[in-house]
Amino acid sequence: MTEFSTVGTSVRRRDLVEKVTGSAEYTVDVTMPGMLHAKVVRSDRAHARILSIDATEALAAPDVVAVVTAADLEPLFPRFGHIIADHFILAPDKVRYFGEPVAIVLAETLGAASDAMRLVRVEYEDLPSVMTAAAALAEGAPLVHEQAYDATGDDSFKSLTGKKHTMEFPEAEGARTNVAHEVDLEWGDVDAARAGAHLVVESTVHYPMLYAYGMEPYNAVASYVDGALSVVSSAQHPYMVRDDLARIFDLPLSRVRVSTPYIGGGYGSKSYTKVEPLASVASWMVGRPVKLVLSVEEAIYTTRVDTADIHVRSSFDAEGHILAREIDIVMDSGAYADNSPLVLAKCVNRSFGPYRVPNLRVRGRSLYTNTAPASSYRGFGAPQGNFAAETNLDQAAEQLGLDGAEIRRRNLVRHGEAILPGKRGIDADLLADLEIAASSLERDRKDTPYYGMGVSCSASDAGAYPISTAQVRIQFDGSVIVFSGSTEMGQGSQSLLSQVAAEELGVDLGVVSVVQSDTSVTPYERTTGASRTSTLVGLALQRACADARTRIRDMAAEIWSCTPDEVIDLPGAVQGPEGAKLAYGEVVRKWFGGTAGEVTGIGLLRREGVTQEMPPFWETGMVGVAVEVDPETGVVTVDQLVTVADIGFAINPQAVEGQDLGAATQGLGGALYEELVYDGPQLANANMVDYRVPRVTDMPRKIDLVLAERRDGIGPYGAKGAGEGQLNPIGGAVAAAVARAVGRWPNRLPLTPERVWRLLNDLEDSDPPA
Amino acid sequence: MLPPFRLARPKTLDEALDAIGEDQVPYCGGTELLLAMGAGLHRPDVLVDVKRLPELAGIRLDGNDLVIGATERHDRVAEHPLVREHVPMLAAVERAVGNARVRNQGSIGGNLCFAEPKSDVGTALIAFQAVATLVSPGGRRALSVEEFIAGPYYSAKEPDELLVDVRIPLGGPEVRAEYVKYQIMERPTLGVAIAHEPETGACRVVVGAVGEVPAVWTFAAPDEIDADTIASEVDPTPDLTGSERYKRHVTGVYVRRAVDALMSRGS
Ligand SMILES: Cc1cc2nc3c(=O)[nH]c(=O)nc-3n(C[C@H](O)[C@H](O)[C@H](O)COP(=O)(O)OP(=O)(O)OC[C@H]3O[C@@H](n4cnc5c(N)ncnc54)[C@H](O)[C@@H]3O)c2cc1C
Repeated sequence: MTEFSTVGTSVRRRDLVEKVTGSAEYTVDVTMPGMLHAKVVRSDRAHARILSIDATEALAAPDVVAVVTAADLEPLFPRFGHIIADHFILAPDKVRYFGEPVAIVLAETLGAASDAMRLVRVEYEDLPSVMTAAAALAEGAPLVHEQAYDATGDDSFKSLTGKKHTMEFPEAEGARTNVAHEVDLEWGDVDAARAGAHLVVESTVHYPMLYAYGMEPYNAVASYVDGALSVVSSAQHPYMVRDDLARIFDLPLSRVRVSTPYIGGGYGSKSYTKVEPLASVASWMVGRPVKLVLSVEEAIYTTRVDTADIHVRSSFDAEGHILAREIDIVMDSGAYADNSPLVLAKCVNRSFGPYRVPNLRVRGRSLYTNTAPASSYRGFGAPQGNFAAETNLDQAAEQLGLDGAEIRRRNLVRHGEAILPGKRGIDADLLADLEIAASSLERDRKDTPYYGMGVSCSASDAGAYPISTAQVRIQFDGSVIVFSGSTEMGQGSQSLLSQVAAEELGVDLGVVSVVQSDTSVTPYERTTGASRTSTLVGLALQRACADARTRIRDMAAEIWSCTPDEVIDLPGAVQGPEGAKLAYGEVVRKWFGGTAGEVTGIGLLRREGVTQEMPPFWETGMVGVAVEVDPETGVVTVDQLVTVADIGFAINPQAVEGQDLGAATQGLGGALYEELVYDGPQLANANMVDYRVPRVTDMPRKIDLVLAERRDGIGPYGAKGAGEGQLNPIGGAVAAAVARAVGRWPNRLPLTPERVWRLLNDLEDSDPPA
Repeated sequence: MLPPFRLARPKTLDEALDAIGEDQVPYCGGTELLLAMGAGLHRPDVLVDVKRLPELAGIRLDGNDLVIGATERHDRVAEHPLVREHVPMLAAVERAVGNARVRNQGSIGGNLCFAEPKSDVGTALIAFQAVATLVSPGGRRALSVEEFIAGPYYSAKEPDELLVDVRIPLGGPEVRAEYVKYQIMERPTLGVAIAHEPETGACRVVVGAVGEVPAVWTFAAPDEIDADTIASEVDPTPDLTGSERYKRHVTGVYVRRAVDALMSRGS
């Protein structure tokens, strides 16, 4: 790519050395003067009325400063939630899940807080609980929430829906149920299509309860002083957290500052508000800064992934063309809505696949249960819905005598075709991507028994809502600082943004630095999610650079006493009449008249122009998986993994490969190993020894990460986003590969050795009690 | 967070024996003890660090015994020339214990004293008919490792006793041994050890991790090892890695795999 100087190459990561040497700063490293340590007293039952909280003994313990309970929050708005503000900071009258915060103990030392935490006596009266979506749906089920809450009216949320796409927030009217949220999507006439079909295939699957494991558990340090709140936290979207905090304290946005140093892994689990309200209300209570660091176990109880039970019925003609799809999704979203309404809506949009589906009916319901609250997870509903529908498609292929690639070939949407009516047509060539994946798999097919392969694909309406701002400040020595409200959570945005700025301004990468994620310093960024940073922040930054260049040209024109259009851009410099040349630094110094000054360029992005149509881009997933099953034990070895990133343009190819391998590996975790298991009111494996994430020894024997660059995205240089895409179709691909290896179709993930062994031997999921 | 405790660091065995008791517990690598304390399962007043006691350290030959001090860490045992020469199977087992941190910190003695059912080390040692040496103010006694691992999380050690070492008898005819393990989580789901004395033909089969304590079978010759009988006789503990039925089944599979490995190695 000689066309570009800096983008399109795998430059070394900006944060590499500091992260490897341990000097990189994370929230846990941040201290504030006079800081207290907080420990959270948590519910030890699933559903219970709080009769009393006695903190006398705890308060008498050495070094304890205060114990905060819901009663103390009376002057505040005591809840948060960016879609439905239903999430109590501290449980007021009842607890809704095991692990729910009931009180905060504040002490001079962490040890004192930990000891005193055990001295807070909470008296409960147990209530009947609902631990699964099915129990929550049952007639006469106990209610998790007796009251309704107003929706906050998040715009992005309202605008993501397709045609005839309705969104219900069940209101207090009539009998309340545990349905937190409903989304329906429908077009055509599915009943007529089914009636005339050659083949109708039905299947039901269960998507497991997962934890989006990141090495850093949630943590924050907060200081509330004199009507101003300052919080440093592990938040993926500091601006969204700021909005929640401002509502709690009724403060102007300018009086709430949220900043985020490096994040130790997010994967969606750190999007939106988590522990920030706890630390903030505690600081507000005592007038001193408060630090709160959760353990991994507490983090698992703070946010997990929505489970889903999904029924799919697809109708086909004799050639294997899809005539209709009917999908029913029931999610167990836990005790509070958090981001689950959005996850549900996305799951609905992403469930039926990037295919020509002339008739569609999807019904989605998200249920409140007495379990840990669920929220975003890499892929936003796609991993759940995609697994269900892709497995259904592969079962249809088998019945039609087609292979997995062929049935997809016959149904995939072509470049530019719409998946969702009224939305942007697909900006990817999935057909070409499919051939790449399928041929890579075939090339290394092994001729051994119990070997199976699967290809699977997905398309996500990605990028979230297109609002972004960026700034670039050119210093008087010609060096450049980029300001962005996006967060660096390991994905490499720091490097990427510096590459874009260096390219646009024609300066050396070495003179560009990047400042990110501080709501009082860096310009507004809605979120760092939905794989949006390269595309949307990239565009905003390109505009900021163009704005800075315009200002530089104007200043140069003044210096040269010519008109601005007589000044032309050069790399890192401008050229005026008669070949006069000035580097950026010289322009700044001459214009200000000293060794001083700077030029700021501003870039703004909204729903307009290239980002008018929603979604801003489609993030596709195309994966191939080959497995070998040990028939005696059911152990699955992944022999091949192929990913094809329809990336448009890879600004940093290595970063894209890293995202794809990471996403696919995380997908393999949920497909083969990971599952949180409730045993009564609490989790049996809320720790990293018993909750098994993939290890390096689990990595596939062959890994083929392909970048398909066709410059067809709306982002800089034709780029689109990456980050979630290759996780989404993994479940379906693994299920198909295992099914072909053992001869039977699984109906749930993860495909643990025992499950595969039972599948192979046609045994029930479990044995009757002896 | 750990509950409060005092730390004693005796330098001699006598001091150590003085210091230990019901609420004054030995502490070596802490990989089990500190987790149990952190989880609130255990609240000793005093931790008595045994790492400075020379009698509990070292790997050496003593007559016909290979002696491994109780405080020797897994990675040391795995790499030690005497272990590799005389009981290579044990070296291989130690090399595959847990993860690098556990191997670098955890001791062979701590492993046996804690008697965690999901362990490999005890299973392997029982195959070699290893013997544990215990000391108390009243004197020393020897106990087979098989008897020492008395129950789940329960070793046959009095509160006033310390484990000094384990002794592997090398005197007899050379033993051929195999260990295979089935592990899908952080700890083993199943471990099968076989020790075969070519001269007499006798085989000891030890199956560990699958039930509460390692179980032992003896057979007159390798080809008489009956995997189905062993599978039907084990008493599996169902957990997240498998049901009783599944664990029984894989026990049979792994006993056969262990026998195959032993046979294919030749004599
Ligand atoms: C994550 C993880 C994975 C593991 N995986 C495996 C595995 O795959 N296979 C396997 O075999 N094991 C495994 N283990 C167990 C590991 O081998 C033990 O944790 C370790 O050997 C214990 O030794 P320690 O020195 O840390 O014991 P400590 O924790 O110090 O002590 C454990 C117990 O022994 C007592 N004790 C210690 N030394 C003496 C002594 N000399 N005399 C009397 N009492 C004493 C203590 O009082 C305490 O009750 C694993 C452990 C962990 C944490």
